Amino acid sequence: MVLSATTDGGERKIRRNGSFGYVVPALLLIAFFFIIPVLMLLMRSVLEPTPGLQNYRELLGSTTYLRVFLNTFTVAGLVTVVAVVIGFPVAWLLAIMPDKWSRLVMAIIVLSMWTNLLARTYAWMVLLQRTGVVNKMLINLGIIDKPLALVNNLVGVTIGMTYIMLPFVILPLIGILKSIDPAILRAAALCGANKRQCFTRVLLPLSLPGIASGALMVFVMSLGYYVTPALLGGTSNMMLAELVAQFVQSLVNWGMGGAAALVLLLVTMVLYAIQLKFLNPNRAR
Amino acid sequence: MLLDFDKLGGLKPFLIGLTALVCLFLILPIVFIAALSFGSSQWLIFPPPSWTFKWYQMLFADPRWLWSALTSLKIAAIVTVLSVILGFLAALGLNRGSFVGREALRALFLTPMILPVVVLAVALYALFLQLGLAGTTVGFIIAHLLIALPFSIISIGNALEGFDKSIEDAAILCGASPWEARIRVTVPAVSHGIFAAAIFSFLASWDEVVLAIFMASPTLQTLPVKIWATLRQDLTPVIAAASTILIAFTILLMVLAALFRKGRKA
Repeated sequence: MVLSATTDGGERKIRRNGSFGYVVPALLLIAFFFIIPVLMLLMRSVLEPTPGLQNYRELLGSTTYLRVFLNTFTVAGLVTVVAVVIGFPVAWLLAIMPDKWSRLVMAIIVLSMWTNLLARTYAWMVLLQRTGVVNKMLINLGIIDKPLALVNNLVGVTIGMTYIMLPFVILPLIGILKSIDPAILRAAALCGANKRQCFTRVLLPLSLPGIASGALMVFVMSLGYYVTPALLGGTSNMMLAELVAQFVQSLVNWGMGGAAALVLLLVTMVLYAIQLKFLNPNRAR
Repeated sequence: MLLDFDKLGGLKPFLIGLTALVCLFLILPIVFIAALSFGSSQWLIFPPPSWTFKWYQMLFADPRWLWSALTSLKIAAIVTVLSVILGFLAALGLNRGSFVGREALRALFLTPMILPVVVLAVALYALFLQLGLAGTTVGFIIAHLLIALPFSIISIGNALEGFDKSIEDAAILCGASPWEARIRVTVPAVSHGIFAAAIFSFLASWDEVVLAIFMASPTLQTLPVKIWATLRQDLTPVIAAASTILIAFTILLMVLAALFRKGRKA
Protein backbone atom coordinates (compact mmCIF):
# COMPACT_ATOMS: atom_id res chain seq x y z
CA MET A 1 0.00 0.00 0.00
CA VAL A 2 1.57 3.27 -1.09
CA LEU A 3 0.00 6.59 -0.33
CA SER A 4 -0.09 9.10 -3.15
CA ALA A 5 2.38 11.35 -1.47
CA THR A 6 2.28 15.08 -1.64
CA THR A 7 6.00 15.62 -1.37
CA ASP A 8 8.85 14.00 -3.19
CA GLY A 9 10.66 12.74 -0.15
CA GLY A 10 7.48 11.50 1.53
CA GLU A 11 6.72 8.81 -0.98
CA ARG A 12 10.20 7.45 -0.97
CA LYS A 13 10.23 7.30 2.79
CA ILE A 14 6.93 5.46 2.98
CA ARG A 15 7.63 2.83 0.36
CA ARG A 16 9.47 0.16 2.24
CA ASN A 17 11.42 -2.32 0.22
CA GLY A 18 13.88 -3.06 2.95
CA SER A 19 11.54 -4.88 5.31
CA PHE A 20 13.49 -8.11 4.88
CA GLY A 21 16.26 -6.35 6.79
CA TYR A 22 14.12 -6.38 9.95
CA VAL A 23 14.01 -10.15 10.14
CA VAL A 24 17.78 -10.53 9.65
CA PRO A 25 18.80 -10.39 13.35
CA ALA A 26 16.25 -13.06 14.32
CA LEU A 27 17.17 -15.10 11.26
CA LEU A 28 20.87 -15.03 12.13
CA LEU A 29 20.10 -16.19 15.67
CA ILE A 30 17.95 -19.06 14.41
CA ALA A 31 20.44 -20.06 11.72
CA PHE A 32 23.53 -20.09 13.94
CA PHE A 33 22.05 -21.44 17.14
CA PHE A 34 19.16 -23.57 15.95
CA ILE A 35 19.52 -24.88 12.40
CA ILE A 36 23.29 -25.41 12.41
CA PRO A 37 23.56 -27.17 15.80
CA VAL A 38 20.59 -29.45 15.09
CA LEU A 39 22.05 -30.41 11.72
CA MET A 40 25.45 -30.97 13.30
CA LEU A 41 23.93 -33.26 15.91
CA LEU A 42 22.17 -35.26 13.21
CA MET A 43 25.42 -35.52 11.25
CA ARG A 44 27.14 -36.96 14.29
CA SER A 45 24.50 -39.70 14.48
CA VAL A 46 25.69 -41.08 11.13
CA LEU A 47 29.39 -40.23 11.54
CA GLU A 48 30.26 -41.38 15.07
CA PRO A 49 31.97 -43.60 16.01
CA THR A 50 32.34 -44.64 12.34
CA PRO A 51 30.38 -43.46 9.29
CA GLY A 52 27.28 -45.56 8.68
CA LEU A 53 23.85 -46.33 10.05
CA GLN A 54 24.94 -48.60 12.90
CA ASN A 55 23.58 -46.21 15.54
CA TYR A 56 20.12 -46.43 14.03
CA ARG A 57 20.37 -50.21 13.69
CA GLU A 58 21.26 -50.48 17.36
CA LEU A 59 18.56 -48.05 18.44
CA LEU A 60 15.75 -49.68 16.48
CA GLY A 61 17.01 -53.23 16.84
CA SER A 62 17.53 -53.75 20.56
CA THR A 63 14.73 -54.67 22.96
CA THR A 64 16.08 -52.26 25.61
CA TYR A 65 15.47 -49.29 23.35
CA LEU A 66 12.20 -50.67 21.99
CA ARG A 67 10.99 -50.72 25.61
CA VAL A 68 11.79 -46.99 25.75
CA PHE A 69 9.76 -46.30 22.59
CA LEU A 70 6.90 -48.40 23.94
CA ASN A 71 6.99 -46.53 27.28
CA THR A 72 7.01 -43.20 25.48
CA PHE A 73 4.05 -43.93 23.23
CA THR A 74 2.07 -45.64 26.01
CA VAL A 75 2.44 -42.73 28.41
CA ALA A 76 1.79 -40.10 25.74
CA GLY A 77 -1.28 -42.02 24.54
CA LEU A 78 -2.67 -42.53 28.05
CA VAL A 79 -2.11 -38.91 29.01
CA THR A 80 -3.84 -37.75 25.83
CA VAL A 81 -6.90 -39.97 26.32
CA VAL A 82 -7.33 -39.10 29.99
CA ALA A 83 -6.80 -35.38 29.38
CA VAL A 84 -9.39 -35.32 26.58
CA VAL A 85 -11.98 -37.42 28.44
CA ILE A 86 -11.72 -35.22 31.55
CA GLY A 87 -11.03 -31.99 29.71
CA PHE A 88 -13.93 -32.05 27.27
CA PRO A 89 -16.76 -31.90 29.87
CA VAL A 90 -14.91 -29.16 31.74
CA ALA A 91 -14.46 -27.08 28.59
CA TRP A 92 -18.13 -27.69 27.74
CA LEU A 93 -19.31 -26.37 31.10
CA LEU A 94 -16.88 -23.44 30.95
CA ALA A 95 -18.20 -22.46 27.53
CA ILE A 96 -21.80 -22.11 28.74
CA MET A 97 -21.70 -21.37 32.48
CA PRO A 98 -22.28 -17.84 33.85
CA ASP A 99 -19.22 -15.59 33.56
CA LYS A 100 -18.89 -15.12 37.30
CA TRP A 101 -18.15 -18.83 37.83
CA SER A 102 -16.19 -19.50 34.67
CA ARG A 103 -13.81 -16.71 35.61
CA LEU A 104 -13.03 -18.47 38.91
CA VAL A 105 -12.41 -21.83 37.18
CA MET A 106 -10.26 -20.11 34.55
CA ALA A 107 -8.16 -18.47 37.27
CA ILE A 108 -7.52 -21.91 38.82
CA ILE A 109 -6.54 -23.39 35.43
CA VAL A 110 -4.21 -20.51 34.61
CA LEU A 111 -2.64 -20.56 38.10
CA SER A 112 -1.82 -24.26 37.78
CA MET A 113 -0.46 -23.67 34.28
CA TRP A 114 1.75 -20.76 35.30
CA THR A 115 3.12 -22.40 38.42
CA ASN A 116 6.73 -23.43 38.03
CA LEU A 117 6.97 -26.85 36.38
CA LEU A 118 9.41 -28.17 38.99
CA ALA A 119 7.18 -26.99 41.84
CA ARG A 120 4.25 -28.88 40.34
CA THR A 121 6.31 -32.02 39.76
CA TYR A 122 7.72 -31.81 43.29
CA ALA A 123 4.16 -31.57 44.61
CA TRP A 124 3.25 -34.83 42.90
CA MET A 125 6.43 -36.53 44.11
CA VAL A 126 5.39 -35.66 47.66
CA LEU A 127 1.68 -36.46 47.24
CA LEU A 128 2.27 -39.83 45.56
CA GLN A 129 5.08 -41.17 47.74
CA ARG A 130 4.51 -44.25 49.90
CA THR A 131 3.66 -42.22 53.00
CA GLY A 132 2.05 -39.48 50.93
CA VAL A 133 -1.43 -38.00 51.15
CA VAL A 134 -2.91 -40.00 48.28
CA ASN A 135 -1.92 -43.37 49.74
CA LYS A 136 -3.02 -42.30 53.23
CA MET A 137 -6.41 -41.19 51.93
CA LEU A 138 -6.98 -44.40 50.00
CA ILE A 139 -6.09 -46.46 53.10
CA ASN A 140 -8.35 -44.38 55.35
CA LEU A 141 -11.19 -44.80 52.89
CA GLY A 142 -10.63 -48.56 53.02
CA ILE A 143 -10.00 -48.84 49.28
CA ILE A 144 -6.56 -50.38 49.77
CA ASP A 145 -4.81 -51.77 52.85
CA LYS A 146 -1.17 -51.45 51.77
CA PRO A 147 0.33 -48.32 50.21
CA LEU A 148 0.50 -48.48 46.42
CA ALA A 149 3.67 -47.74 44.46
CA LEU A 150 2.50 -44.58 42.72
CA VAL A 151 5.83 -42.96 42.04
CA ASN A 152 9.07 -44.08 40.33
CA ASN A 153 6.95 -45.83 37.74
CA LEU A 154 4.77 -45.00 34.74
CA VAL A 155 1.67 -44.48 36.94
CA GLY A 156 3.35 -41.51 38.55
CA VAL A 157 4.50 -40.16 35.19
CA THR A 158 0.99 -40.46 33.74
CA ILE A 159 -0.63 -38.67 36.70
CA GLY A 160 1.96 -35.89 36.73
CA MET A 161 1.82 -35.37 32.96
CA THR A 162 -1.99 -35.39 32.85
CA TYR A 163 -1.90 -32.63 35.45
CA ILE A 164 0.39 -30.57 33.21
CA MET A 165 -1.44 -31.26 29.93
CA LEU A 166 -5.08 -30.75 31.04
CA PRO A 167 -5.06 -26.95 30.50
CA PHE A 168 -3.75 -27.45 26.96
CA VAL A 169 -6.87 -29.48 26.15
CA ILE A 170 -9.37 -27.34 28.04
CA LEU A 171 -8.35 -23.84 26.95
CA PRO A 172 -8.54 -24.26 23.11
CA LEU A 173 -11.72 -26.37 23.40
CA ILE A 174 -13.60 -23.57 25.18
CA GLY A 175 -13.23 -21.37 22.11
CA ILE A 176 -14.40 -24.14 19.76
CA LEU A 177 -17.43 -24.95 21.91
CA LYS A 178 -18.33 -21.28 22.26
CA SER A 179 -18.31 -20.90 18.48
CA ILE A 180 -21.02 -23.59 18.06
CA ASP A 181 -24.42 -21.96 17.59
CA PRO A 182 -26.82 -23.23 20.32
CA ALA A 183 -29.64 -22.88 17.77
CA ILE A 184 -28.28 -25.93 15.92
CA LEU A 185 -28.84 -28.03 19.03
CA ARG A 186 -32.28 -26.53 19.57
CA ALA A 187 -33.10 -27.42 15.97
CA ALA A 188 -31.92 -31.00 16.52
CA ALA A 189 -34.12 -31.27 19.60
CA LEU A 190 -37.12 -29.84 17.73
CA CYS A 191 -36.60 -32.44 15.03
CA GLY A 192 -36.99 -35.11 17.66
CA ALA A 193 -33.43 -35.93 18.65
CA ASN A 194 -33.09 -37.01 22.26
CA LYS A 195 -30.25 -35.85 24.48
CA ARG A 196 -27.93 -38.69 23.62
CA GLN A 197 -28.48 -38.15 19.90
CA CYS A 198 -27.96 -34.41 20.28
CA PHE A 199 -24.63 -35.15 21.93
CA THR A 200 -23.28 -37.94 19.74
CA ARG A 201 -24.63 -36.66 16.41
CA VAL A 202 -24.42 -32.89 16.77
CA LEU A 203 -22.27 -31.56 19.63
CA LEU A 204 -19.51 -34.13 19.46
CA PRO A 205 -19.02 -34.07 15.66
CA LEU A 206 -18.99 -30.27 15.69
CA SER A 207 -16.29 -30.14 18.37
CA LEU A 208 -14.28 -33.00 16.89
CA PRO A 209 -11.78 -30.80 14.97
CA GLY A 210 -10.94 -29.02 18.24
CA ILE A 211 -10.69 -32.27 20.18
CA ALA A 212 -8.44 -33.87 17.55
CA SER A 213 -6.21 -30.84 17.33
CA GLY A 214 -5.87 -30.52 21.12
CA ALA A 215 -5.29 -34.26 21.48
CA LEU A 216 -2.55 -34.29 18.87
CA MET A 217 -0.86 -31.28 20.46
CA VAL A 218 -0.86 -32.94 23.89
CA PHE A 219 0.39 -36.20 22.39
CA VAL A 220 3.29 -34.48 20.63
CA MET A 221 4.21 -32.45 23.72
CA SER A 222 4.10 -35.58 25.91
CA LEU A 223 6.35 -37.55 23.54
CA GLY A 224 9.22 -35.13 24.02
CA TYR A 225 8.75 -34.38 27.73
CA TYR A 226 11.82 -34.68 29.87
CA VAL A 227 11.48 -33.19 33.36
CA THR A 228 8.36 -34.91 34.68
CA PRO A 229 9.26 -38.43 33.47
CA ALA A 230 12.78 -38.02 34.82
CA LEU A 231 11.53 -37.08 38.30
CA LEU A 232 8.33 -39.14 38.64
CA GLY A 233 9.42 -42.17 36.62
CA GLY A 234 11.92 -44.77 37.71
CA THR A 235 15.26 -45.47 36.09
CA SER A 236 13.95 -48.79 34.79
CA ASN A 237 11.17 -47.27 32.70
CA MET A 238 12.72 -44.46 30.79
CA MET A 239 11.11 -42.31 28.11
CA LEU A 240 12.65 -41.15 24.82
CA ALA A 241 13.70 -37.65 25.93
CA GLU A 242 15.45 -39.14 28.97
CA LEU A 243 17.25 -41.56 26.68
CA VAL A 244 18.57 -38.68 24.55
CA ALA A 245 19.80 -36.86 27.65
CA GLN A 246 21.33 -40.00 29.12
CA PHE A 247 23.32 -40.82 25.97
CA VAL A 248 24.81 -37.34 26.01
CA GLN A 249 25.18 -36.62 29.72
CA SER A 250 26.22 -39.88 31.35
CA LEU A 251 27.37 -42.05 28.46
CA VAL A 252 28.90 -39.26 26.31
CA ASN A 253 27.80 -41.23 23.25
CA TRP A 254 27.01 -38.48 20.75
CA GLY A 255 26.32 -40.89 17.91
CA MET A 256 23.51 -42.68 19.75
CA GLY A 257 22.31 -39.43 21.32
CA GLY A 258 22.01 -37.85 17.88
CA ALA A 259 20.18 -40.90 16.52
CA ALA A 260 17.65 -40.90 19.38
CA ALA A 261 17.21 -37.15 18.96
CA LEU A 262 16.53 -37.58 15.23
CA VAL A 263 13.87 -40.22 15.89
CA LEU A 264 12.16 -37.92 18.40
CA LEU A 265 12.47 -34.97 16.01
CA LEU A 266 11.03 -36.93 13.06
CA VAL A 267 8.02 -38.23 14.98
CA THR A 268 7.31 -34.72 16.30
CA MET A 269 7.62 -33.10 12.87
CA VAL A 270 5.42 -35.67 11.11
CA LEU A 271 2.67 -35.35 13.73
CA TYR A 272 2.96 -31.58 13.65
CA ALA A 273 2.65 -31.57 9.85
CA ILE A 274 -0.52 -33.67 10.15
CA GLN A 275 -1.83 -31.14 12.67
CA LEU A 276 -1.18 -28.19 10.34
CA LYS A 277 -2.53 -29.90 7.26
CA PHE A 278 -5.70 -31.56 8.50
CA LEU A 279 -6.56 -30.23 11.91
CA ASN A 280 -5.83 -26.55 11.82
CA PRO A 281 -8.53 -25.13 14.11
CA ASN A 282 -8.17 -21.69 12.52
CA ARG A 283 -9.24 -23.13 9.23
CA ALA A 284 -12.01 -25.29 10.60
CA ARG A 285 -13.69 -22.37 12.34
CA MET B 1 -30.37 -27.29 24.90
CA LEU B 2 -27.01 -28.98 25.43
CA LEU B 3 -25.41 -25.57 25.05
CA ASP B 4 -27.88 -23.77 27.29
CA PHE B 5 -26.68 -23.70 30.89
CA ASP B 6 -30.20 -23.45 32.35
CA LYS B 7 -31.61 -26.31 30.30
CA LEU B 8 -28.93 -28.93 30.84
CA GLY B 9 -31.23 -30.97 33.11
CA GLY B 10 -29.65 -34.09 34.56
CA LEU B 11 -26.33 -33.33 32.89
CA LYS B 12 -25.85 -30.18 34.92
CA PRO B 13 -24.89 -31.80 38.26
CA PHE B 14 -22.61 -34.22 36.39
CA LEU B 15 -20.74 -31.46 34.58
CA ILE B 16 -20.52 -29.25 37.65
CA GLY B 17 -19.34 -32.16 39.80
CA LEU B 18 -16.65 -33.16 37.33
CA THR B 19 -15.46 -29.57 36.90
CA ALA B 20 -15.28 -29.16 40.67
CA LEU B 21 -13.16 -32.33 40.92
CA VAL B 22 -10.85 -31.10 38.16
CA CYS B 23 -10.48 -27.76 39.95
CA LEU B 24 -9.53 -29.61 43.14
CA PHE B 25 -7.07 -31.76 41.16
CA LEU B 26 -5.49 -28.62 39.71
CA ILE B 27 -5.36 -26.53 42.88
CA LEU B 28 -4.68 -29.09 45.65
CA PRO B 29 -1.02 -29.84 44.82
CA ILE B 30 -0.30 -26.13 44.95
CA VAL B 31 -2.10 -25.72 48.29
CA PHE B 32 -0.37 -28.77 49.75
CA ILE B 33 3.08 -27.49 48.87
CA ALA B 34 2.33 -24.13 50.46
CA ALA B 35 1.00 -25.85 53.60
CA LEU B 36 3.90 -28.31 53.86
CA SER B 37 6.46 -25.53 53.57
CA PHE B 38 5.26 -24.39 57.01
CA GLY B 39 5.03 -27.93 58.41
CA SER B 40 7.64 -29.26 60.78
CA SER B 41 7.90 -32.77 59.33
CA GLN B 42 11.14 -33.53 57.51
CA TRP B 43 9.32 -36.32 55.61
CA LEU B 44 6.48 -34.05 54.57
CA ILE B 45 3.81 -35.84 56.61
CA PHE B 46 0.38 -34.30 56.14
CA PRO B 47 -1.18 -32.90 58.22
CA PRO B 48 2.08 -31.70 59.80
CA PRO B 49 2.61 -32.34 63.54
CA SER B 50 3.35 -28.64 64.12
CA TRP B 51 4.10 -25.44 62.22
CA THR B 52 7.45 -23.79 61.67
CA PHE B 53 9.42 -21.28 59.60
CA LYS B 54 12.62 -23.30 59.74
CA TRP B 55 12.59 -24.36 56.05
CA TYR B 56 12.42 -20.72 55.05
CA GLN B 57 15.28 -19.96 57.43
CA MET B 58 17.34 -22.76 55.89
CA LEU B 59 16.47 -21.49 52.42
CA PHE B 60 17.67 -17.97 53.17
CA ALA B 61 20.67 -19.17 55.20
CA ASP B 62 22.11 -20.95 52.16
CA PRO B 63 23.59 -18.28 49.88
CA ARG B 64 23.48 -20.65 46.88
CA TRP B 65 19.67 -20.38 46.74
CA LEU B 66 19.74 -16.61 46.69
CA TRP B 67 22.61 -16.60 44.24
CA SER B 68 20.80 -18.93 41.81
CA ALA B 69 17.66 -16.79 42.07
CA LEU B 70 19.70 -13.70 41.19
CA THR B 71 21.29 -15.56 38.25
CA SER B 72 17.81 -16.53 37.01
CA LEU B 73 16.62 -12.96 37.36
CA LYS B 74 19.61 -11.55 35.50
CA ILE B 75 19.36 -14.01 32.61
CA ALA B 76 15.58 -13.65 32.33
CA ALA B 77 15.84 -9.85 32.30
CA ILE B 78 18.45 -9.79 29.51
CA VAL B 79 16.51 -12.42 27.53
CA THR B 80 13.33 -10.35 27.89
CA VAL B 81 14.94 -7.20 26.50
CA LEU B 82 16.62 -8.99 23.57
CA SER B 83 13.52 -11.06 22.81
CA VAL B 84 11.28 -7.98 22.68
CA ILE B 85 13.69 -6.05 20.42
CA LEU B 86 14.40 -8.93 18.01
CA GLY B 87 10.74 -9.98 18.16
CA PHE B 88 9.52 -6.47 17.34
CA LEU B 89 11.85 -6.19 14.36
CA ALA B 90 11.02 -9.67 13.08
CA ALA B 91 7.27 -9.14 13.53
CA LEU B 92 7.55 -5.80 11.71
CA GLY B 93 9.40 -7.44 8.82
CA LEU B 94 6.95 -10.35 8.62
CA ASN B 95 3.97 -8.00 8.88
CA ARG B 96 5.09 -5.34 6.38
CA GLY B 97 7.37 -7.18 4.02
CA SER B 98 6.34 -8.73 0.74
CA PHE B 99 9.45 -10.80 0.17
CA VAL B 100 9.33 -14.41 -1.02
CA GLY B 101 9.18 -17.11 1.64
CA ARG B 102 7.60 -14.91 4.31
CA GLU B 103 5.25 -17.64 5.54
CA ALA B 104 8.03 -20.23 5.60
CA LEU B 105 10.15 -17.81 7.61
CA ARG B 106 7.35 -17.25 10.11
CA ALA B 107 7.03 -21.03 10.54
CA LEU B 108 10.79 -21.33 10.98
CA PHE B 109 10.80 -18.67 13.71
CA LEU B 110 8.13 -20.56 15.64
CA THR B 111 9.77 -24.02 15.34
CA PRO B 112 11.88 -23.78 18.53
CA MET B 113 8.59 -23.55 20.43
CA ILE B 114 7.21 -26.88 19.17
CA LEU B 115 10.43 -28.84 18.95
CA PRO B 116 11.16 -31.17 21.91
CA VAL B 117 13.37 -28.98 24.09
CA VAL B 118 15.70 -31.82 24.89
CA VAL B 119 16.75 -32.06 21.20
CA LEU B 120 17.55 -28.35 21.12
CA ALA B 121 19.35 -28.62 24.47
CA VAL B 122 21.60 -31.48 23.37
CA ALA B 123 22.35 -29.85 20.00
CA LEU B 124 23.23 -26.48 21.58
CA TYR B 125 25.30 -28.17 24.26
CA ALA B 126 27.40 -29.87 21.57
CA LEU B 127 27.93 -26.59 19.73
CA PHE B 128 28.71 -24.64 22.92
CA LEU B 129 31.29 -27.23 23.98
CA GLN B 130 33.13 -26.49 20.74
CA LEU B 131 32.70 -22.71 20.95
CA GLY B 132 33.63 -22.54 24.63
CA LEU B 133 30.19 -21.17 25.50
CA ALA B 134 29.11 -24.12 27.66
CA GLY B 135 28.51 -23.02 31.25
CA THR B 136 28.64 -19.32 30.41
CA THR B 137 26.02 -16.61 30.87
CA VAL B 138 26.16 -15.84 27.14
CA GLY B 139 25.36 -19.47 26.32
CA PHE B 140 22.45 -19.38 28.75
CA ILE B 141 21.08 -16.19 27.21
CA ILE B 142 21.31 -17.53 23.64
CA ALA B 143 19.56 -20.78 24.61
CA HIS B 144 16.71 -19.02 26.41
CA LEU B 145 16.39 -16.38 23.71
CA LEU B 146 15.66 -19.12 21.16
CA ILE B 147 12.58 -20.30 23.06
CA ALA B 148 11.46 -16.82 24.19
CA LEU B 149 11.56 -15.27 20.71
CA PRO B 150 8.53 -17.16 19.28
CA PHE B 151 6.36 -15.73 22.09
CA SER B 152 7.48 -12.20 21.21
CA ILE B 153 6.93 -12.68 17.48
CA ILE B 154 3.40 -14.02 18.07
CA SER B 155 2.36 -11.38 20.65
CA ILE B 156 3.81 -8.38 18.80
CA GLY B 157 2.76 -9.77 15.41
CA ASN B 158 -0.86 -10.02 16.60
CA ALA B 159 -0.74 -6.46 17.90
CA LEU B 160 0.72 -5.19 14.60
CA GLU B 161 -2.09 -6.91 12.67
CA GLY B 162 -4.55 -4.69 14.49
CA PHE B 163 -2.58 -1.49 13.90
CA ASP B 164 -3.38 0.67 10.88
CA LYS B 165 -0.08 1.41 9.19
CA SER B 166 -1.39 4.59 7.59
CA ILE B 167 -1.14 6.28 11.00
CA GLU B 168 2.60 5.71 10.89
CA ASP B 169 2.65 6.97 7.28
CA ALA B 170 0.81 10.10 8.39
CA ALA B 171 3.53 10.80 10.95
CA ILE B 172 6.17 10.41 8.25
CA LEU B 173 4.31 12.77 5.93
CA CYS B 174 4.18 15.27 8.77
CA GLY B 175 7.95 15.24 8.83
CA ALA B 176 8.99 12.43 11.15
CA SER B 177 11.77 10.13 10.07
CA PRO B 178 10.68 6.49 9.56
CA TRP B 179 12.32 5.35 12.80
CA GLU B 180 11.01 8.33 14.73
CA ALA B 181 7.51 7.45 13.50
CA ARG B 182 7.94 3.82 14.44
CA ILE B 183 9.23 4.53 17.93
CA ARG B 184 6.86 7.38 18.78
CA VAL B 185 3.72 6.17 16.98
CA THR B 186 3.83 2.43 16.30
CA VAL B 187 5.53 1.25 19.50
CA PRO B 188 3.02 3.01 21.83
CA ALA B 189 0.13 1.72 19.70
CA VAL B 190 1.23 -1.91 20.04
CA SER B 191 2.40 -1.54 23.66
CA HIS B 192 -0.06 -4.20 24.87
CA GLY B 193 1.59 -6.72 22.50
CA ILE B 194 5.02 -5.66 23.73
CA PHE B 195 3.91 -6.03 27.35
CA ALA B 196 2.60 -9.55 26.65
CA ALA B 197 5.81 -10.38 24.79
CA ALA B 198 7.88 -9.21 27.76
CA ILE B 199 5.88 -11.27 30.29
CA PHE B 200 5.96 -14.44 28.20
CA SER B 201 9.65 -14.04 27.40
CA PHE B 202 10.49 -13.49 31.04
CA LEU B 203 8.52 -16.54 32.15
CA ALA B 204 9.94 -18.67 29.31
CA SER B 205 13.43 -18.02 30.65
CA TRP B 206 12.66 -17.85 34.39
CA ASP B 207 10.85 -21.22 34.46
CA GLU B 208 13.01 -23.04 31.92
CA VAL B 209 14.57 -26.28 33.16
CA VAL B 210 15.78 -28.52 30.34
CA LEU B 211 18.04 -26.11 28.44
CA ALA B 212 19.24 -24.78 31.78
CA ILE B 213 20.34 -28.24 32.97
CA PHE B 214 22.60 -28.52 29.92
CA MET B 215 23.84 -24.92 30.02
CA ALA B 216 24.61 -24.87 33.75
CA SER B 217 27.98 -25.36 35.39
CA PRO B 218 28.79 -25.84 39.09
CA THR B 219 29.37 -22.09 39.36
CA LEU B 220 26.51 -20.95 37.12
CA GLN B 221 23.08 -22.21 38.15
CA THR B 222 19.65 -20.75 37.67
CA LEU B 223 16.94 -21.36 40.28
CA PRO B 224 15.30 -24.25 38.36
CA VAL B 225 18.70 -25.96 38.05
CA LYS B 226 19.25 -25.59 41.79
CA ILE B 227 15.78 -27.06 42.51
CA TRP B 228 16.41 -29.87 40.02
CA ALA B 229 19.78 -30.78 41.53
CA THR B 230 18.33 -30.75 45.06
CA LEU B 231 15.27 -32.77 44.03
CA ARG B 232 17.43 -35.51 42.55
CA GLN B 233 18.94 -36.04 46.01
CA ASP B 234 15.94 -35.85 48.32
CA LEU B 235 12.51 -34.32 48.82
CA THR B 236 13.59 -31.83 51.49
CA PRO B 237 10.90 -29.35 52.62
CA VAL B 238 13.32 -26.55 51.71
CA ILE B 239 12.11 -27.09 48.13
CA ALA B 240 8.53 -26.65 49.36
CA ALA B 241 9.57 -23.27 50.77
CA ALA B 242 11.28 -22.28 47.52
CA SER B 243 8.27 -23.48 45.51
CA THR B 244 5.87 -21.50 47.69
CA ILE B 245 7.82 -18.32 47.04
CA LEU B 246 7.70 -19.06 43.30
CA ILE B 247 3.93 -19.68 43.51
CA ALA B 248 3.43 -16.38 45.33
CA PHE B 249 5.44 -14.70 42.58
CA THR B 250 3.20 -16.33 39.93
CA ILE B 251 0.02 -15.12 41.64
CA LEU B 252 1.49 -11.62 41.80
CA LEU B 253 2.20 -11.71 38.05
CA MET B 254 -1.34 -12.96 37.34
CA VAL B 255 -2.85 -10.15 39.40
CA LEU B 256 -0.64 -7.60 37.61
CA ALA B 257 -1.67 -8.97 34.20
CA ALA B 258 -5.35 -8.86 35.21
CA LEU B 259 -5.02 -5.28 36.46
CA PHE B 260 -3.27 -4.31 33.24
CA ARG B 261 -6.06 -5.82 31.16
CA LYS B 262 -8.68 -4.02 33.23
CA GLY B 263 -6.80 -0.74 32.88
CA ARG B 264 -6.72 -1.12 29.12
CA LYS B 265 -10.47 -1.72 28.91
CA ALA B 266 -11.33 1.32 31.01
